[in-house]
Amino acid sequence: MSASGPGLTVGEMLRKHGVSRRGFIKYCTATASALALPPWMGAAMAEQLRNAPRPSVVYLSFQECTGCFEAFTRSFSPTIEHLMFDIISLDYDDTLMAASGTAAESALASVMKEHFGRYVLIVDGSIPTGASGAYCTSGGRSAEVILREAAKGAAVILAVGTCSAFGGIPFADPNPTGAWPVSAIVGDRPIINVSGCPPIPEVITGTLLQYVTTGSLPDLDENRRPRAFYGNSIHDRCYRRPFYDEGKFAKTFDDEGARNGWCLYELGCKGPTTYNACATVKWNGGTSFPIESGHGCIGCSEPGFWDKGSFYTAQAAADFTKSGETRPLEVLEFAGATLTVGAVLGAGSAGVGRLRQHRSELDEVAQNDKGTP
Amino acid sequence: MSRLGDIPIRIESMESPVPDRPDGGLGGAIDAVLSEIASLLERLAKNDEHSMIDLRSLPLSQADRAALQSALGDGEVHATLQAVGRSTARETRFAGVWWLEHRDPAGDLVAELLEVARFPQILASAPDEIADAAKALRSHRRLQ
Amino acid sequence: MTLDLLGFARGPALKAALAIFCAGVVWRIAAFALLRIRRDLNRPRTSMLKYMSMGVLAIGTRSWPHPQFVKRTGAGEALGYSYHLGLFAILLLFGPHIEFLGSLFGFTWPGLPSGVITGISAVTLTLFLGVLYRRVTSRVIRMLSNFDDYFSWFVTMLVMVTGMATTAHLGARYETLLALHILSVDLLLVWFPFGKLMHAFYIFPSRAINSAILARKGAPS
Repeated sequence: MSASGPGLTVGEMLRKHGVSRRGFIKYCTATASALALPPWMGAAMAEQLRNAPRPSVVYLSFQECTGCFEAFTRSFSPTIEHLMFDIISLDYDDTLMAASGTAAESALASVMKEHFGRYVLIVDGSIPTGASGAYCTSGGRSAEVILREAAKGAAVILAVGTCSAFGGIPFADPNPTGAWPVSAIVGDRPIINVSGCPPIPEVITGTLLQYVTTGSLPDLDENRRPRAFYGNSIHDRCYRRPFYDEGKFAKTFDDEGARNGWCLYELGCKGPTTYNACATVKWNGGTSFPIESGHGCIGCSEPGFWDKGSFYTAQAAADFTKSGETRPLEVLEFAGATLTVGAVLGAGSAGVGRLRQHRSELDEVAQNDKGTP
Repeated sequence: MSRLGDIPIRIESMESPVPDRPDGGLGGAIDAVLSEIASLLERLAKNDEHSMIDLRSLPLSQADRAALQSALGDGEVHATLQAVGRSTARETRFAGVWWLEHRDPAGDLVAELLEVARFPQILASAPDEIADAAKALRSHRRLQ
Repeated sequence: MTLDLLGFARGPALKAALAIFCAGVVWRIAAFALLRIRRDLNRPRTSMLKYMSMGVLAIGTRSWPHPQFVKRTGAGEALGYSYHLGLFAILLLFGPHIEFLGSLFGFTWPGLPSGVITGISAVTLTLFLGVLYRRVTSRVIRMLSNFDDYFSWFVTMLVMVTGMATTAHLGARYETLLALHILSVDLLLVWFPFGKLMHAFYIFPSRAINSAILARKGAPS
C-alpha cells in the first residue's frame, strides 16, 4: 500500500516511481482500449491526471468472499497494477494494510477526517442487518454502523461486486442474515454500482479511473451501473450470436454443437438479460470469457441472479418453482390437478345442460300433444 | 459420450477474437477501415488534424488483420519504445499512417492502434521532462 | 424473493394462466362432449360404422369450399389458412418457443433459423391485419361480428406484436419487452377457453359430428 506524500500530484508520484510520461500515456491508452473507450481518451486521461492531486481511496469490505478485492488487485499484469496504486492513494484497506486492531481503527478515522467530503469510498460485500448486525462486525461495530459513518464523508461510493451493488449471494432466498446492498443503507451519497461476481478487473479500475479523471459520475443505467461497461447485454455482443440467429444450439456440454462453438442458450445461458462487458473487454486481460470457454453466462451482474432459475435451464423454459427448474413430476401434477378441475366443472356444466335438454324435450312433447288435434 | 482427449484443442490468441470465416475469405471489413483511414489522412493533409483508430474495437479476424497489414505495407520509419514494456511504432507506406503496438512487461499485447499524424504523439519528448533533463545535463559532472 | 415484472410474468402469472387454460379448455370440451345428442327417431340410412366414418372423413373433405362457392369464399379461406400456418410456424419452430414447450412436454424438436421466423412473422402480421380489414369492410361479416371476434383477434395480435418487438429489442429494455410478451401470452391463455378461440378444439369434432348426423340421415358426403 503506497503512502501519499504531502500534496504529490499523480504525475509526480509516477515520476518518483520511475514511470515516464510515455509509460503513463501507454497505460492510459491501454486502459482506454480495454474499456472500449475512444483512443483519444487515453491521452486525455493521462494529461488530466498528471497534474491532479492523488485521490484518497478508502476500501471497506463487509459480508463478502474477497473475490472482488482479488479482482481489483489483479487488473492487468502485475507491473501495471502498481500504476493504479500510484495514481490513487489507497489510504485504508483491511486486506492489504499491515496495521491491525486499534491502530487500523484510528487510521481509518484519521483518513476520513483529513479527507472529509473528498475521499472515494469503495465497498464490497453486502451489509447484514439481521441479529442487530451481529453477522458482520469489526471492532465491536456492525457493518451497517461502519458504512453509515464512512459514507458521510465520501465524495462518491463505488459498490464493487454484486453483493454490495444488489445484495448478491447473501441476499438470495431465504436471506438468513438480513443482507442488503449499499444503496439500501445509504441514500444521500452518489453511488456507482460496479456489479459482477466478481466484476471484470478492468471495469473496476476503469470506472475508478473515469471518476478520478473527470471528477463526476459517468452515465449510469437504471441500476446505477456505468453505461460504458453495462450498456449492452452479453447477447448483443456475443461472438456466438450468428449461431443463435441460425438456430444452432449445443444440447449438451460435449456434443458436436458444443465442440463447434454453437450457441449455449439451451444450456442455460442468461446472456440475453445480462448486462456486462464480458463479451468485449473479456477476462484475464482479454483472454476469454465464460461463453468463449464453453459455459453459458450465469447472469452474475444482475440483481437477484441467484434466484432467477437454474444456470443450466434455458431462459425460455417454464419456470414455476423456486428452484427454477420445472421437473416432469411437477408438470404432471399440475396437469393432473387442472384437468381434474376442468373435468369436474365440465361434468357439472354438462349435467346442467342435460337437465335443460331433458326439460326442453318434455316441453316439446307436451306441446306436440297439445298441438295434435 | 466422448473422452476428454477427443476434444480438439484450439488456442486463440487475443489478437484474433473473431473466428475466421469458414470460407477463409475476407470480409468487406478492411475496405471500410482503409476508407476511413483515407478520410482521416485527407483531414490530416488539409487541417493538420490528428486522429487514432483502435484496432481492438474493430471485429477483424486474423485474415482481415493480415490483409490490412499487407495493404498498408511498411514505410521508412520503425521506432521502438521501452516504457512499461515494449512498444513499436511503424510508419506504413502511406506517409502519416502509423501502426502502433503496445506490449506490457510480460510481452502481451495491451493495445494496437492506427495513428494518423505527422508522427505518433507518444514519441515526442515531454516539455517538463525536457526541462528536467536540461537541469540534469547542466549539472552533469563533465560540464562542471 | 423479490419479483420484477419479468419474474412475475414468467412465474406466478404464467402458472395461473396455464392453470386457467387447462382447466377451462377441459371444462368447455367436457361440457359439450357430455351433452346428449338429440335423439333422431328416424331410421338410419346407413350403418353406424359408415356414418361415423363419413363424419370423420368430412373433416378433410370439407376443409376447402365446394367448387361452387370457391369464387366467393376462396380468398378468405386462403387468407385464414395462411395466417394459421404462420402462427403455428412461429409458435412451434422458433428456438426459445421450442425450449418453453419442451420444458412442459419433456421433449423438443428441431426448429427454423430465427431470421426465417422473423420473415414468417412479418408476413403473418400483415395477413392478420388483412383479416381485420376484411372483417370490418365486408358488410355481412361485420354484421356477424361481436366483441368476442375483435377481442380474440386483438389478444392474438398483441402476442405477435410484443414477440416481434422483443426479438427486435424495439421500444424498451429487453426484459420489459419480454415481460410484456409473456404477459400477453398469459392474457391469451386466460381468454382462450371462454371465447371463439376455442374453435381450435371445437372445429374438428363439430364438423365430424354434424357430418355424421347428416350422413345418418342419408346425405351423400
